Parts: sequence; C-alpha cells; structure tokens
Amino acid sequence: MTRRQLMTGLLATAIASIIFLLPFIFIFVTATKSSQEASLLNFSLPGGWHLWDNFIKVLQARNYMLLLAYLNSTIITVCAVAIMVLCGAMIGYLLQRRSSRWNKIIYAMVMVGLIVPPAVVPTIWVLQGIGLFKTIHGMILIQVAYGLPFSVLMYRNFVAAIPQDLDEAAIIDGAKPLQVFFKVILPLLKPATVTLIVVKSIAVFNDFTHPLYYLPGRENVTVQLTLYNFQSQFETQYNLLFMNILLVTIPPLIVFIFFNRQIVAGMTAGAVKG
Amino acid sequence: MSSVTLTQIKKSFGSVDVMNNIDLSIEKGEFCVFVGPSGCGKSTLLRLIAGLELVTSGKIVIGDRDVTHAEPSARGIAMVFQSYALYPHLTVRENIGFGLSLAKRPKAEIKAKVEAAAEALQLGHLLDRKPKALSGGQRQRVAIGRAIVRNPAVFLFDEPLSNLDAALRTQMRMELTDLHRKLGATMIYVTHDQVEAMTMADKIVVLNGGRIEQVGTPMELYNKPASPFVAGFIGSPKMNLIEGSAAEALGCKVYGIRPEHLCLSTTEGQWEANVRHIERLGAETILHLDTVVIGPLIARVAGEEVPPVGTKIFASAIEGREFRF
Amino acid sequence: MRKPKSAYPYWFVLPGAVIFTVLFLAPTVASFWFAFTRWDLYSAQFIGLDNFVQFFKEPFLVQGLWNTLIYAFLTSGTKSIFGLLLAVLLTSGIWAQGFLRTVVFFPVLVSTIGIGITFAALMHPTKGLINVGLDQIGIAGPGWLTSASLALYSIAFVDLWKGVGLATLIYIAGLSAISPDYYEAARIDGATRLQQFWRVTVPLVRPATVTVLTLSLIGGLRSFDLIWAMTKGGPGFSSDVLASVVYKQYQSGFYGLSTAGNVILFVLIAIIIVPMTYLFSRREVHQ
Repeated sequence: MTRRQLMTGLLATAIASIIFLLPFIFIFVTATKSSQEASLLNFSLPGGWHLWDNFIKVLQARNYMLLLAYLNSTIITVCAVAIMVLCGAMIGYLLQRRSSRWNKIIYAMVMVGLIVPPAVVPTIWVLQGIGLFKTIHGMILIQVAYGLPFSVLMYRNFVAAIPQDLDEAAIIDGAKPLQVFFKVILPLLKPATVTLIVVKSIAVFNDFTHPLYYLPGRENVTVQLTLYNFQSQFETQYNLLFMNILLVTIPPLIVFIFFNRQIVAGMTAGAVKG
Repeated sequence: MSSVTLTQIKKSFGSVDVMNNIDLSIEKGEFCVFVGPSGCGKSTLLRLIAGLELVTSGKIVIGDRDVTHAEPSARGIAMVFQSYALYPHLTVRENIGFGLSLAKRPKAEIKAKVEAAAEALQLGHLLDRKPKALSGGQRQRVAIGRAIVRNPAVFLFDEPLSNLDAALRTQMRMELTDLHRKLGATMIYVTHDQVEAMTMADKIVVLNGGRIEQVGTPMELYNKPASPFVAGFIGSPKMNLIEGSAAEALGCKVYGIRPEHLCLSTTEGQWEANVRHIERLGAETILHLDTVVIGPLIARVAGEEVPPVGTKIFASAIEGREFRF
Repeated sequence: MRKPKSAYPYWFVLPGAVIFTVLFLAPTVASFWFAFTRWDLYSAQFIGLDNFVQFFKEPFLVQGLWNTLIYAFLTSGTKSIFGLLLAVLLTSGIWAQGFLRTVVFFPVLVSTIGIGITFAALMHPTKGLINVGLDQIGIAGPGWLTSASLALYSIAFVDLWKGVGLATLIYIAGLSAISPDYYEAARIDGATRLQQFWRVTVPLVRPATVTVLTLSLIGGLRSFDLIWAMTKGGPGFSSDVLASVVYKQYQSGFYGLSTAGNVILFVLIAIIIVPMTYLFSRREVHQ
C-alpha cells in the first residue's frame, strides 16, 4: 500500500464515519437516554444509562404491541420467502428447461412485475373479494406476488448452469418430475436460494408501504407499521422512539454480518441482469 | 435372441428429419458401437433407445418387450453420459444408489448392491466422497457403477471417454471391454472415434446423415467397406480415395487404396510420385506423395528408412487390396 | 398413441402464476377500468375522463406529478454520480477499503421508516444536529423539512444517503469487469488519471450506469415510504409525489381518483423506462 492510499483511506474513513456512521451512533445514543435528555435531540453522551429501561418500556408500550409486531413480521417474512423461493425455482426451472411459446409471455410478465408499481386500491378490492384483506395470509401472498419476478429471473439464470444431463440421468434412474426437481435440481440451486432468502427476507421485513395498505388495524401490525405509529405516539419520548428504531435495525445488521457475501451477490446479480 | 430391435425408426425435429428408416438388431451380450462423424445421428439414436427422445414413427423392442412408448426408467436400460452426469451434491454412495433409493428398496439391499458395484470397480475407498473430489477416471467408474446397480438388460454409453486424456482413455477402453466380458450384458456405445470402435466392438454400426451406412464386425468394415464413406472412416491414416477421371481410368467412380497397402520402389511401379512430406512415428513412417496421374497419395511404411523429401519414387497398390466403388 | 409425460410438466408454473395473476396482474388490469369510475369498492359508476380532468385541474395534484419527476431524476442522477465516484475510490486499494464498502452499503438494508424518522430528528429546524452544527460555525441553517421550497430536496438527499450504497455496489461489480489491460494500454499511450477516468472508466462501465439509472429511476418514481415517514407530503403539498397522492386519495375515500393516480404513475414509468431500455440496448448493439 502506498502512502497515498493510506492517507486517502484515513481521510475517507473519517468522512464516511461522519456521514454514514453518525446517524447510527445518534440512534444508539438517543436510545440510551432518559426522555428529558433525549428530547434535546443533541449528540451528548447520556447522563444516565437507560438502555435496558427503555427496552422494557418499548416492549410494554401499547400492551406489548412490538412483540406482536415482531411475531407477525416474522410469520409474514418466513412464509412469503419460502413460497417465493419454491414457486420461483419451479417457474425458473421450467422456463429454462422447456421452450414453448409461453416462455415469451412469462418473461414479459416478469418484466412487468419488476417495473410496474402495484395498483393498490384495485388490489384491496381483489383481496376483499377473496376474503384476504386485513389478513396475514393475504399479506404473505401479496409479498409473494411482488417478489416472484425477481426470484424467477434469478433461478432461471442459475438453472442454466446445471447441465441437463443430470435431469436425464435422474429420469433414467426412475425419478418422477417432482423427484428430479426436489432431489437433483433444488439442492444444486442452494447458492441462489441462500442469496434469495437473505435479500428477500430483508426486503419483506422492511416493507412498510404494502402492510400500510393491506394490513390496517391493530391486531395485524408489522414491525415497520408499529415504528411508524410510535412516531406520533412518542413525539415527546424520543428515547423510546429511537430504541424502537434500534430494534428494527438490529435484524438486518445481524443478517448482514453473517451473509454479507450472499447479499452482495444477490443485489448485483439481480441488478446487472435485470 | 436379439436384445434390441429397431424397426423402421424415423425421427424428425419439426420439419427436419434427423433419422430415417433405421432397421437394426443387436444380439444379446453384444458390444455394439455406433460410430460416425458429429451430427450423423448416433447420439440421437442412442437417446431414442434410452427413451430420452421419442421416435416419430417405428418400433423399439428391448428383450421381448415393445418399449417404443415406455418411460426411460421402465425400459431396462442404464446410461453413462459423456459428462458422467454425477449428482454433485451426493456422495459416491448416494450417486450409485440413487435409482434404488427412488425405487424405495430396503436400505440393506441398497447398501449391499452399492458396495458390490463399488468393489467391482475399485471404488470401495471412495464411497463417501463427493464427485468433486474424484479424478476423471474415478468419476467415469462411478457413472458406470450407477449403471451396474440398475442391473439393466442394455447398457448405453454416450461418448464416455471423450473427456479423458489419451493415456486414461486407453486404460478405460480395456476396463470397459473387461467389464463387458464379466457382465455379459448387451452394450451400446456411441463414439466418433473409429479407434474406439475398432478396438472394442463386436459389431460396428456406421452412421452418416441419419442413415446406417454399414453394419458389421470391425474386420468386415476394414476389409469390405460397403461405401467410400465407410472406407474413408475406418482406418488410420485415412484410405486414399481417388475420384474423377483418374478413377475412371482405373475402371470405377471412386478408387480406394489404404496407405498400408501401397508398395514403394525407387525404380519402378504403378504411379510415379514425388515425396512431399514425411511424418516419422518411430515404428512406422507416413509419407505424403504427389503423383503425376492420380494426385496426392498417403503411404505408410514400416521402419524409418525412407527416401528424403523431393525424391522421385514409384508407388503401387498391393494386388487384391484395392477397392473400386 | 400414448404420449409419455414430459419431465418438465407445465403445472410447475401454476402455483406462482395463480398468485401473481390474482394479486398483481388482475388488479393492474382492473385499475384501467376503475380509473374511469366513481368508486366506493362496492359499486363503480363510469364517469369517463373526469378523474383525470380533476387530477390535472387540481394544482396540488399536478405539483405531485412534477415532484415525482424532480425526485426521481434528482435521486437517480446523484446516486449514479456519487456511486461511480465512491466505487472508483473503493476499488483503488485504499486503506480500510473493505470496512468502507460495508459502511457505505449498510444503510441500504436498514428500515426506510427508521432512517426517515432519524433524519427528521437530525433535520429538526432548531434542535436538529445538522442546524446545531451549522450554528457552531456561524451559519443559520434553514428548516430542512419545514420549508416548502426545501423539503423535497432534503428528502432526496436522505434517499441518496440511503441508496448510494447499492449504486456503489453495482459500480464496483461493473468496474471489476473492466480488464486492467485497458488502463495499462492507456498509460502507455500517456493518459493521465483524469483522462483514464473519462476515456476508459466512464465508457466501459456503461452497463452498470444503465442498471443504476434504470433501477433508481423505477425506485424514485414509485417512492413513498421515505417521504411519508419524513413529511407526509408536507408542508402543505410541497413534497407530495404521485405515490403519496394515491395514498391520500385512498384515505379520503376517493378510490377512483386514487386509481387514476396509479394509472398516471404506470404511464409515467412506461414512457420513461421503456424508451430508455430500448435506447440503451440499441446503442449497446451498435458499439
């Protein structure tokens, strides 16, 4: 490393720390303060250490709503991503392996799904029609519908790297179509699946807009909705508000630490080919 | 009793006919090689027998069962692919036992069969490895092991040695021939390499442009090629084939003489020629000659004592070794 | 003649196709009907172009349209410029390169609502850290989110802050696909560092630029949650965009008008993104 690279690095680190890290430090510091201190919104160190206090208070707020929100968000994220992975892999596999005139239509639908924003009110109308409005099931299926195009595209590209000989060997070994898919193809798609799970879990967990439309009401709140609602409730209690932000920030941070490589792969693969 | 019988097989992809009127019967226990240049339809024919492609018309009988419309797994065949097609996520043991476990056979039976096959192929110590950790030859053996445990009536091989280096290929040729002798099973083997065909086959089927050119034992094809195509395809270096007016002067449309059936003399002979190029292979030498009357000729002589480039010599065909088509 | 079944049966598509069709495609198609109606979710009455006429007559709705365009082009342009600069910096082998990449990228993964609330606090006109900081050096900071002429740009800045990491990541992938041979050839030809950047990096990183611009334009035109968390479109309607207009009309029960806003958003995205991808893919062929 040259001296120049070292100096640039030090300078960049200093600037990046101010621009990119300061807001996070601010979140953490404010979350540890008492409510009087926090309302000043300044950057001083807390006079007293209230991290645990604030944590308990946020949990207890509105009759343990945050816990319910975490439960709901977890259910939605896990189910939606699982269905997205399975349906996406099946469509991507078929799209790559079997050429037919339907393929063009499916590709067109994938592009439409990636670009076009959902028509929200008509979607509410459809959800009401099939009895899924304001339900967790409905929210799960909505997330699947919105995330599926990306999943299909990603799997199609990965299936292309698996030689078709493997399918044929399995067919000769007596595998039925579902067995070829589940015993041979799906295990080989594991890298794509891990990336997809990580990237889409974060996206679904962080989604605010769609739960806002399709999941109104107290019993089905998600983490992002709770945070948004706390914003007005805790106007005078910034310490609790920021404790909430801190709690919302931690899950992606943990995922990021463990799956950095997969996230980077997923974000750029989807992007460069999209 | 024949093991595989093909009757009037026809295959088209869209409006393109790739196989036409194929009639062929392969005897039980025979080692049959399909050979031909790339695109001749040999792999397609193998895939039709395997059931990976369906015939457009015609009939396929394996054993005494009409399998024309049967699923691949119900035809009593096993196949070794060019790429081996080993499942990368499974161990050698799981790869060999995959078909048995799909058929829901008892665990003990699978274990016994897999281990017997592995023993026969000297894979015993590799059973718990993944394909990634194997050499090319070992992968090849696993692919064969996977075929063996199916206990098929017919083994199908699709260019199985083309991914191996030359030394390993010779060794695997011998191993496959041994295996054939030991199992006594019918084997159908696709290759573009006439050396593999000649050294391994009981019966060779030469294919060209979706048709069968000739069927016969290796020596029948060598000694009595039915067409200039077969004559040129079997044997190395390639037979000298002379066409046009020079051939007409010799009383035929195409005149053929193998390089090893040419006599050279410095004094007299059939055709006067100039030595243009010499390839010394040690035990034998290949000479490229320019003749005045019939154009370029290739001759193959024993030893290394040959006239230098530029010398004028005479070449003559050995009596009874010429082919006139 | 019995045909054996394909190893790739069409029904594999079915579960995904049903979900997508019912919950995405059908509402999208239906919106082209409901946009022309007065609608209360139970009965729809056809009123022709009235919703669209009303949309373009109301100044604050028209402003939402303009704001959408300003916001989308501003964020995608700045993300692309800063993304490229950061990517060049973070592939030049500087000290703490890996750490810096992580720091720049992390905001992409964090809850937009959380970020919005945090920056709303930092941009507080009197107590916010930004204005307190500016005060220290003798500058009277403006009301970042309370001034009607500034709010949209302040939010766009936060969007840049949150999203530049993704642009950087894509540019880093694009830069690492450029063979070092080009730079060596340019150096032998006597190109300075700046010339190398303009003559080698910028043209060769074009596929990444297309991706960044397309992705962030689509995202920018659709953006809602950051704006909603920071200003709810205010003060007044000064930071409203199409997506927030759609939500506001929905909240007020003007379902037909809301859906008309949605249709305008489709059309806007279509007339910007479709020619863009067409243009870029065509020029790529000609190169």
